[in-house]
Amino acid sequence: MKKKLLDIKNLKVNIEDQEILKGIDLEINPGEIHVIMGPNGGGKSTLAYTLMGHPRYEVTEGQILFDGEEIKDLSPDKRAKKGVFLSFQYPEEIPGVTVEEFLRTSKTAVSGEQQKLIPFKKLLKSKMEELEMKDEYASRYLNLGFSGGEKKKNEILQMSILEPKLSILDETDSGLDVDAIRIVAEDVNRLQNGNRSVLVITHYNKLLDYLKPDFVHILLDGKIVKSGGLELAEEIDKYGYEGIKAKFSRN
Amino acid sequence: MKWNRIGLESLTFPEPKKYTKEYLSNLEITNINLDEINELSTTKLEDFMPKEAKGLGKDFTSYVEEYYNSGISLHVPRNMKVEKPIILDFLMDDENPMVIDRNILVLEPNSEITVVINYKTKTQGHCFHNGLTKVYAKENSLVNIIKIQNLNDKSHNFDSNLAIIEGEGNINWVSIELGGNITGSNFTTILNGDASQGNLSSIYLGDGDRKLDLGYSMIHKGRKSNSNIETKGVLMDDSKKVFRGNLIFKKGARTSKGVEGEYVILLDPAVKSDSIPGLFCEEDDVSGEHAASAGQIDKDKLFYLMSRGLSEREAKKLIIQAAFRPVVDKIPSEELRNSINTEIERRIINE
Amino acid sequence: MEKKKTYIEDINRGIYDIKDEVNYSYKTDKGLTTEIIIEISKEKNEPQWMTDFRLKSLEIYNSKPMPEWGADITDLNVDEIIAYIRPNTEMKNKWEDVPEDIKNTFERLGLPQAERESLAGVGAQYDSEVVYHNIRQELVDQGVIYTDMETALRDYEDIVKEYFMKLVPPTDHKFAALHGAVWSGGSFVYVPKGVNVDIPLQSYFRMNAPGAGQFEHTLIILEENSMLHFIEGCSAPKYKVNNLHAGCVELFVKENSRLRYSTIENWSRNMYNLNTKRAVVDKNGVIEWVSGSFGSKVSMLYPMSILRGQGARSEFTGITFASSGQYLDTGTKVIHAAPYTRSTVNSKSISKDGGHAFYRGLLKVAKGAHHCKSTISCESLMLDNKSKSDTLPIIELDNDNIDIGHEAKIGRISDESIFYLMSRGISEEEAKAMIVRGFVEPITKELPLEYAVELNNLINIELEGSIG
Repeated sequence: MKKKLLDIKNLKVNIEDQEILKGIDLEINPGEIHVIMGPNGGGKSTLAYTLMGHPRYEVTEGQILFDGEEIKDLSPDKRAKKGVFLSFQYPEEIPGVTVEEFLRTSKTAVSGEQQKLIPFKKLLKSKMEELEMKDEYASRYLNLGFSGGEKKKNEILQMSILEPKLSILDETDSGLDVDAIRIVAEDVNRLQNGNRSVLVITHYNKLLDYLKPDFVHILLDGKIVKSGGLELAEEIDKYGYEGIKAKFSRN
Repeated sequence: MKWNRIGLESLTFPEPKKYTKEYLSNLEITNINLDEINELSTTKLEDFMPKEAKGLGKDFTSYVEEYYNSGISLHVPRNMKVEKPIILDFLMDDENPMVIDRNILVLEPNSEITVVINYKTKTQGHCFHNGLTKVYAKENSLVNIIKIQNLNDKSHNFDSNLAIIEGEGNINWVSIELGGNITGSNFTTILNGDASQGNLSSIYLGDGDRKLDLGYSMIHKGRKSNSNIETKGVLMDDSKKVFRGNLIFKKGARTSKGVEGEYVILLDPAVKSDSIPGLFCEEDDVSGEHAASAGQIDKDKLFYLMSRGLSEREAKKLIIQAAFRPVVDKIPSEELRNSINTEIERRIINE
Repeated sequence: MEKKKTYIEDINRGIYDIKDEVNYSYKTDKGLTTEIIIEISKEKNEPQWMTDFRLKSLEIYNSKPMPEWGADITDLNVDEIIAYIRPNTEMKNKWEDVPEDIKNTFERLGLPQAERESLAGVGAQYDSEVVYHNIRQELVDQGVIYTDMETALRDYEDIVKEYFMKLVPPTDHKFAALHGAVWSGGSFVYVPKGVNVDIPLQSYFRMNAPGAGQFEHTLIILEENSMLHFIEGCSAPKYKVNNLHAGCVELFVKENSRLRYSTIENWSRNMYNLNTKRAVVDKNGVIEWVSGSFGSKVSMLYPMSILRGQGARSEFTGITFASSGQYLDTGTKVIHAAPYTRSTVNSKSISKDGGHAFYRGLLKVAKGAHHCKSTISCESLMLDNKSKSDTLPIIELDNDNIDIGHEAKIGRISDESIFYLMSRGISEEEAKAMIVRGFVEPITKELPLEYAVELNNLINIELEGSIG
């Protein structure tokens, strides 16, 4: 049996004393692609931020095992070093810090190896080419003045440089046009190929045209109400979240 | 008294006179019982008004406290929402050339009120206004105060406005300065309670040799308090204006936010425009921003409108009215809005 | 990379604090009297007009009240300050000739090395007198003069007489008058018409004696169509008694000339830094101020640009870093006195550990100075809630045909930004330092490389484990 990469049990999370996640169970094995779908306000982003360790999200109950180790009390940088990555829905703008300088510091921290200037430049350049990003982005200030699509691509660039074991993509498809979605999906596939895992959080299923998820979960009102295969995504397409909600409130 | 910033060598207050005219014009349409609300003791108000709320200064406010000849004291009971605005209409003339109004508003929790005060003159003689308005807005109350000043070009106009706002209370000040020879106007809001909010929108029109000294302060003390100052003005002829806008964050005002914007359009070479915007901060977890701009009307905009057949004056008027509109629209009386628009139009087009 | 590394090792705040034994050949008594002024002037062999100028300034000083705005300087007792201390050496133009202890001080500060590597000329002042001055021969051949003020007064008396304290007259304010009475040392630069000095000149001011005042005078004249970058560095070891720095900088930028004046000030925290700097710029000339204020107990410093020629320009780029026990009241003044003049102001401040940073500025557009353009931007970063940060930019406009924009912002490092960087494996401290370095980047990129490295290291040292 494969060892689980992520094992979430009965996870309950509060924001400012209000319960948002009401008992989540989720297991992800190495090499798997999972998708979490659900309407806005259902707790999707809360799950993403909680896994990365945002201080505003308070875990009141349950466990988050990563590689067999409890991580719920670790600071975000420690989690990153263990191999968790979050592609932000709204990446922060950091004036005065260039993309290259930032990524070299980050890669050094995550890999534990000093990144030499020239080899790192080469690595960055090749990754940027894969994502069809212009060279000049390397010397621009982090996310400053980037369009929505450029910010998302920059997130994926960071992912492919840092090579995390688990990539959480929070609404990465929003703000991207069709071509960009394809490019991003190719990069995710390239990275996943092998035993890396991906957790896609999305409102729509645009990205799913290019990714082959192993599991689809529906997150409604703080709970995973249904898990299945790709057919679940199709069901949502057909009935909408309201239809699915109605179905569950009847049960 | 010397007033350097507006080039005033000396200022002495006149002998106080009576104001005998009726100024509460629309009270019958509101459901407020004046007898009930007049009870408020004023000494109590001094207790809560902290020292940093100085208005235009002690010389001005103590003159009002001693000689006031008009004004209202309203105590709005808990949960009362006064739907219609209370309107005070002051129309000075040769028999009543002085308005020294002292207004006190106390809002009990969860109450609401709107007060409009309109200062005008019906004479070409010298008139004098010195007012003091004090507001205590308790938890979750809402107060709107709109002041419109259009005195004749010889008159002096001084006005001090102080407010203290408790938790989740809200004050919206609107100040419209169109007239007077010398105007000194101050609005100080103390955001004392958590999540209290203060907004100030003002417009002014400087023409002739009008001098305006406008001082607005937002003092944040409560957590999550919020403030916004937005001032737009036009200066033409030999007019002069001083803007002093302060956002003050006291220690403890965590996660508060203040925004201040001042925009002035300059139309003639002899105008003088001074700005002294201040941000004062003792707390790190706050956000304060100030922006200002000064210059002529955008030439491309002007050209565009003129290419559609408007004269230069008409085009300028249109642009200025567009800038003023969001503030004018806050006045809850169509009649007043129209009269302000007509006045602005007259001044810009006909002179 | 090697060089950069060495620099990081060099930079340790400690080097500024190494005191030399106080060795002097002559010093005045504490306080100020006519006798002391006459003594200083005599000791320096000055012409009579300068002696008279000093005495007149003393008179003005005694007649002016202490300024009542800005910093609290009640702790500063000028009567306790020693106005003049001559170090135990004559001025040299070879480092080997400079006495060992003084030379070692400047070696520690990296000055001789910088001279070898990246400077066209160097001046070094120790307490009241300049102990070293040197300039590359090719500049001398082009007619560039770079020397100490005493030599200038002796060898170029006419030029000095024409410009000295004409831009900052002793009547300006109390400390300008004090400066006029007791000034000593400083640098004199004269760049002839059409000469471009393409490598920077640097003067370094070091105060070693406790309870002393440093009153150096810097006078720079750029004739038409010339160019210069001048760097000024300041430091002192910390003593328990107050020291006073009341220098004066006068810059004359003539038609089509361009002067960049960079200052890295890292006085110790017992220093009152009450310095006056002013530039006057003629037609199409440019003054660029780059100003880093890190040290001192109290600073009041507002370099002023007077744009008096049509099309003249000024740019001010400043960073102020106020930490524990510091009140740094800094900013800039710009006077648009001619049409088509332009100015930009870009100021950043950081306050932490109870420090108080105050931006105070003035922008004035005179009557008739039409078609002027100015943009001002002030940003302040608060690193904790023990500290204070204030911004007060005064704008005075006396005509309509202008385009003025101003922005100011105050706040702290956002939690979301820290979280974002931490989610990429960067520790909290490192994330904060990175954001702060990014915040000051627009300034560091204007500095010569070694200063930029020094600044980044200062931020590391200043920030280490102290914010949260």
